[in-house]
Amino acid sequence: MRSAVWWPCAATLVLGTAALGAALLVPYTFSDPNGVDPYVARISGVAVLLLVVAYARADLASTRPVLLALTAVTASFTLLAATPQILVDLFGDRAPSGDAQVFWASLAQLVATLALMWLAWRRTPPTLVPKLRIEKLGWLAAAVAVGASALLVLVMLALPASLLGRLALQPVALTRDLPWLWPANALQGLSQELQFRGLLMGALERVMSKGWANVAQACFFGFSHLAVNYQGPVAPFVPVTIAVGLVLGWMVQRTGSLWPAVIVHAVADILITIGVVSGLYGF
Amino acid sequence: MGSELARRLAAAAVCAVAVCTLTTRVDAEAAAWWTRVALAGSDLSQVRADGATVIVRTRGGSTLMSTDSARSFSPVQGNPQVTVPPQTRSGDDTWIVTSAGSVLHAHGSASLAPDPDSPDLGPGAHLLAAPASLPGVVVAVATDGTVWRRDMAGGWGRALLLLPAGLTSGVPRITAVAAFTQPVTNTVYLSTDGYSVLLSTDGGDDWIHANPGLPDSVAALAADSASRVLYAATPDGLYMHGLQAFPAPPAYHDAALALRWLGTALVALLAAASAVVALSRAMMPRRRTR
Repeated sequence: MRSAVWWPCAATLVLGTAALGAALLVPYTFSDPNGVDPYVARISGVAVLLLVVAYARADLASTRPVLLALTAVTASFTLLAATPQILVDLFGDRAPSGDAQVFWASLAQLVATLALMWLAWRRTPPTLVPKLRIEKLGWLAAAVAVGASALLVLVMLALPASLLGRLALQPVALTRDLPWLWPANALQGLSQELQFRGLLMGALERVMSKGWANVAQACFFGFSHLAVNYQGPVAPFVPVTIAVGLVLGWMVQRTGSLWPAVIVHAVADILITIGVVSGLYGF
Repeated sequence: MGSELARRLAAAAVCAVAVCTLTTRVDAEAAAWWTRVALAGSDLSQVRADGATVIVRTRGGSTLMSTDSARSFSPVQGNPQVTVPPQTRSGDDTWIVTSAGSVLHAHGSASLAPDPDSPDLGPGAHLLAAPASLPGVVVAVATDGTVWRRDMAGGWGRALLLLPAGLTSGVPRITAVAAFTQPVTNTVYLSTDGYSVLLSTDGGDDWIHANPGLPDSVAALAADSASRVLYAATPDGLYMHGLQAFPAPPAYHDAALALRWLGTALVALLAAASAVVALSRAMMPRRRTR
């Protein structure tokens, strides 16, 4: 099995996920990390450490594409979460408004993702460079993006409101917030698709079948949501996000373009902003 | 070499867990957001509160009264109706919704007059609230279910539009809106017969789902400033919410913070080191066996 071409990437994804999961979840057993590490810097630290070691040791060269993807996911998420506080620390009373902070944080996430994409493009052997599929959109991809977005709206309206938390529209707040938040949502959708369906799935597809690559990235996509909403129980959310990851990955593979997934992801995030009423413990 | 490293890593993990366990401070748990205080199983349709006196009405037509802050209830002779008038006072301001759905306002001893730019709430509209700690702010519900809010400068805007509960179910009905008439909190509360209770702390601009502990259906709300308590009448009894801060992660300082960071960093380091060891082994060429 170790001589199989897919072994290095698969082993790296499994072991990397285990290490990130341990760093994320073990502190919950002995303390409350929310008051200490609300930006989950600990998982970014683990991913960066693994990447540095992989670049320092030639025998781990084949692990680099997957570790680059894991670092892009974790480090850019920490940057997204921490940027509002960084802006307040830097600018004090002159810091931008809360909504503008979210926009700048989303931009910072995209810049960090692009930097790691550049690293993947320049510092990975040609045979292992991830398939990013960002060059083309095409009529099929555009049609899929529009159709899937419309379907998403219908599904969200059809599912029970309490399941999704989509209880109400808040016109006053939306008028105030959306000029900053919809571009922020779009940037986040772009960043996360570049990370999961671009860097990760694109790297896995170099060494394994499309189907297995899709399943693997979708599982990591689902588990990574454990780090997102730390204010409430999110374990039931994991299978849903795995399913969403599978659908997005399938769309990318079928259309040969990352853009339908970017558009649907952004639409989903904007719909959540518009229709979901947060609870006392967050979403 | 490998086993020595493993022993050191295990020792570091044990130390990290021990340090963090010993320094963990167990914060006193916040009071439950909603707790049922009386009349479990009773289908209540209305509630009013004034200090220790709480009056409820059941769907069966009984009126019950408590004079000990809802600890015990006894029937009220004649079972009079329990009604909430379509008006509220907030500081020196009085707000009224007319039977035609217009919003009237009076400041101090001035006479009531239509509030400029106020919306037509529709005939029969009667739900409005004005938090005393935000002078000029009013939240009112139109007969079509739209929740309007008036800001402190006098501008009115649509604040909340409930969405359908599902594919075949309709939009839940708004059953009550309440605020404290003394300046004890900025919060405005809104009950529904499907989405439990929502609240706003900024005069109706932003809303939060504040349902933990409550049934999905809430028939009425009553806020009592003297006891700083909000009551909710539900199909399964009377619930109470005592004013409290929102749940938030604990904030650690000094040694407690430093030790927690140390423990978290050790766990992360251990996880990374373990992954490197495992990856190194996984990437080794397979040994040939004869």
